Amino acid sequence: MSLVRFVWPAVRRLALLTVLLATVFAAVSLLPGDAATATSERGESATDLAARRAALGLDRPLAERFWDWLAGLPTGDLGTSAHGRPVTALLAAPFPNTLLLGGLALLLSVTGALALGSWAALRPGGRVDRAVATAATAAFALPEFVVSVALLLVLSLWTGWLPAVTLTGPDGAPASWRMLVLPLLALTIPQIGWNTRIVRGALADQASLPHVQAAILDGLPRHRVLTHHVLPGALPAIAVGTATSAGMLLGGAVVVETLFNYPGIGAVLAGAVADRDTPLVAGVVAATGAAISTLLLAADLIRDRTLGVRA
Amino acid sequence: MSVTRRQLLWATAGIGTAGALAACGSGSGRSDSEPAPAGSTSEQPRSGGTLKIGALGRASAVTRDPHGSQANESDYLIISLLYDTLAVPGDTANTVPRLAASWQPSPDLKTWRFTIADGAKFHDGTPVTAADVVWSLKRLRATPAGASRLPGIQPSGISAEGARTVVLVSDYANADLPLLTRLTTFVLKKDTKDDAVATASGSGPFKLDWFRDGNARLVRNDDWYGGKVLLDAVEVRIFESPQALANALLAGQIDVASNVGATAARTAGARKDVQVVRRPNDLAMPIVMRAAGGPFADPRVRQALRLAVDREAMVKQVLSGYGTVANDVLGTGDPAYARDLPQRTRDLVRARQLLGAAGFDLARSYDLVTTEDIPGLAESATLFATQVRETGVRINVVKQDSKLFWDASWLKAPLYASYWGTNDSVVFFASKTMVSEAGQNEAGWRDPAFDAAYRKALATADAAERAKVLHQLQEIEYDRSGYLLWGMADGIDLAAAPVRGLPRLPGYGRVQLEKTWLAR
Repeated sequence: MSLVRFVWPAVRRLALLTVLLATVFAAVSLLPGDAATATSERGESATDLAARRAALGLDRPLAERFWDWLAGLPTGDLGTSAHGRPVTALLAAPFPNTLLLGGLALLLSVTGALALGSWAALRPGGRVDRAVATAATAAFALPEFVVSVALLLVLSLWTGWLPAVTLTGPDGAPASWRMLVLPLLALTIPQIGWNTRIVRGALADQASLPHVQAAILDGLPRHRVLTHHVLPGALPAIAVGTATSAGMLLGGAVVVETLFNYPGIGAVLAGAVADRDTPLVAGVVAATGAAISTLLLAADLIRDRTLGVRA
Repeated sequence: MSVTRRQLLWATAGIGTAGALAACGSGSGRSDSEPAPAGSTSEQPRSGGTLKIGALGRASAVTRDPHGSQANESDYLIISLLYDTLAVPGDTANTVPRLAASWQPSPDLKTWRFTIADGAKFHDGTPVTAADVVWSLKRLRATPAGASRLPGIQPSGISAEGARTVVLVSDYANADLPLLTRLTTFVLKKDTKDDAVATASGSGPFKLDWFRDGNARLVRNDDWYGGKVLLDAVEVRIFESPQALANALLAGQIDVASNVGATAARTAGARKDVQVVRRPNDLAMPIVMRAAGGPFADPRVRQALRLAVDREAMVKQVLSGYGTVANDVLGTGDPAYARDLPQRTRDLVRARQLLGAAGFDLARSYDLVTTEDIPGLAESATLFATQVRETGVRINVVKQDSKLFWDASWLKAPLYASYWGTNDSVVFFASKTMVSEAGQNEAGWRDPAFDAAYRKALATADAAERAKVLHQLQEIEYDRSGYLLWGMADGIDLAAAPVRGLPRLPGYGRVQLEKTWLAR
């Protein structure tokens, strides 16, 4: 029973990912130009272009190319980029870098949101609650770009406290942990806003339930009511909010990585789209898609565990 | 902005390799005698230190093959420091010696003999031989772009004569053949395998310490045949966007932001600890008027538009003043550039007369196609449209997606804004974009007198005679080509205060760092 409960959502997520990848292949081919023109030199003859096109396999039907690429996936072969390098090699350092940045941002934003949301929920409608609600909405409404520029000016260019951009070391990772701080904050601040609102909302829903009201009437301390009676029930909603947040974080990472020169997957994706480099775009989507799918799956499982068993 | 910059990279790489190789000069020379950009000239160059330099590039397009299509400025920089080309751009001459110490043509200007520099050796200690050069040139010739990189030279026309001499045979007389050996003729060891190219020994002023995802550290080659290299090491960092590149410099994380652009220069202008290095004649953004047919086929109409543009205003507004007014002749950095042609200025009365005489239809509007590939290009089109409106000509600016533009409008549209990221010699532009049979004849211009002058220039060995012919060629171009060249944008680098001896050359000349040093 529990195996089915795990397998079915996993299969569904996998099917969804495949559809997404097929869409990516189709979408890139709909853009004007192709990888052959993108990697050619101005003034190359039509014959040269045709040779390039054949070398990249672009003369074959789209479905066939997609199928070939998909067939390599189980063996860990993500194909070859338009510039002739294995996609896996291109992602080898950037993908872990993005996972690190995204993972830390997620952790930080969830922790921050739980703390702020709970603090606000201690006295519903109080001054703290109203201040947190306002600040959270404002933070979420700020685009990463604006947050990034403000942080950059204040914490680096004006004060010199932190490095303005990330420089990469010989191992492909940021040369110093201090370089992570600015991109991390730029990603986290809007997401704390989002998650705080989710947490606060979920806690409010729980607070009105009879068993919570009973606990309050029993005269239990507020923080005990919060941790033992309110939070457990709010967990599924918070888990789903977190998973959604992960998607938004990866989207924001593209902007933030470019601004801070962070050696992640966002830069690779932007370049790949510009070059109409289908295998590379699909590789990035597959990697990030798999990461997000795993998170969504985990959220599903938490929800099922909390609610599904009772249902 | 970062997207547009990327496109510039793509385009300039194309030009740099195909084009520049194919011909010519950029401008200004080796930095030997070049004074420090802002420092006092009395300083003694000193040895030592690590220069951190940032350059633009995309992580997805990183390539390490010296003969591949280099889309990234950062890759080209690294390759140029590790490997040597036969010749390099210069300032007093379009071409100055590098791995080839000298060259001699046959009397018919078809066969050229290049002599390899004394003491030239690879980083592993083995001497560079003619066989290595021949193998490398043939490898270059065999790439998809090979025919345009070495135009007129068949693979069979590349051979060795003994251990020190390389012979190149051209299909036609070519007094400018050495121009072809700049920029992409990187020399590797004979029989280097394709999968070993990344780690192959070069003969350049720096040796590879490490390379990762477009970033690299290079250390001085103490045995370099070209003279004493001053820096201990060069660290190259790849930057996706010009903004991040400028910020890295302003925060003191790097010493040089290479080719970072006018926007950054404006930001950094107020900082006393930052040098703004301007490299004139770097980028051309001509407006192309189709001569082969359509509304601009009449030379009088093209002349009218050249008289309708306000060049000073274009340079001031489009380039924020980081540029110079041009005179409709391409190749402004060339020592042979005709500086004595009268500067064309705005003359609306004459422009209206010419339009009237040509019977130009002022009732309809005309599309001017452009892209946002590079900063300022679309703005130049818009300002141009506003300016010519005063003659009664109505121009409608159409911004196209980059790929669409290069597929559908470039070489075809009646009126479009083009750009050339490597400012090359007069002969380069003549051969690539103006002679009747040129594959990239942007305006479809065919002028028998121009073609004759071009062929005569290529076949003339005598320098004085040749200069005269080149002047005639430029007069014809000035009078009736399909180009309106209103100005030239500067190339702009930012550098930290202690950096000295940076190259001042436009285009790909900016990568020559062997004489650069640090005053700290």
